[in-house]
Amino acid sequence: MNEQHTNVAPLAQHENTKLAIWLFLGGEVVFFVSLILVFVFSRLTISNYEAQFRSLLSIPIIAANTFVLVTSSYFVVRGLEAINIKDDRKGLQTNLIIVMVLGLLFLGGQAFEWITLFNEGMTLKSSFGTPFFTVTGIHGTHVFIGILWLIYLLVSHKRRPFTRDNNRRVENFGLYWHFVDIVWIVLFTVIYLV
Amino acid sequence: METKKRPNYLFVFIALAVFTLIETLVSYIQQEAIKFPTLAIISVTKAILVLLYFMHLKLDSKIFSYLFIAGCVLSIPLILVIMVVMPQII
Repeated sequence: MNEQHTNVAPLAQHENTKLAIWLFLGGEVVFFVSLILVFVFSRLTISNYEAQFRSLLSIPIIAANTFVLVTSSYFVVRGLEAINIKDDRKGLQTNLIIVMVLGLLFLGGQAFEWITLFNEGMTLKSSFGTPFFTVTGIHGTHVFIGILWLIYLLVSHKRRPFTRDNNRRVENFGLYWHFVDIVWIVLFTVIYLV
Repeated sequence: METKKRPNYLFVFIALAVFTLIETLVSYIQQEAIKFPTLAIISVTKAILVLLYFMHLKLDSKIFSYLFIAGCVLSIPLILVIMVVMPQII
């Protein structure tokens, strides 16, 4: 009877944390959809949006920043592959450090954009500034949390290295990081390109 | 995740980079009728590529896909409520 019960279990015990991460990401979808919608509606009410605000946004710089975040996602899977396939602990560490540097570079790019916009006269309370800084700020906070998570993983890896059979925490971090990447892919289109 | 059927991550990354370049160029097109649907399709394609290959939804248990889809489905009533409420607030 017990054996039968084990056989029908849909997920292994170690998949539980992954399930929790996906549940969390499902909730994050709802959260970001609401933020994006508020941004879209706010933008639609601005009569001279193109002349007032669109001209202030530097698409080439943000496109480069988008490329940085997409590249960081690639290095996350490279790191996971290094530990999963080759049990390459040094490879995992190197790739995670690259991800951290790229994450910091992304935040630096965003800080540069914000400073430029403030210098151009945009304020937090303006009709475009409020939704813009809210959405990009909350996304940036997610990137920052990801970097803190990454630092924690690197310290853990130094103390007790992840192995081929014990790397679930890295995979869970990867899911979060890729999700943050997806959110930016959507924000890049909605805020800067359309 | 099954390691046997692992995707070509480099190919996915190159596709994402090329799509980013294309959508950046498309954003300079003045014709909204072409610009908007093209950008929407590229953006959704990029998101799906990340979900399926980098987040391994293509290989993992379907329950993870259902959880993510549930988030998207739950957003629909939210979208409707915001569409009704926002014009009254702004």
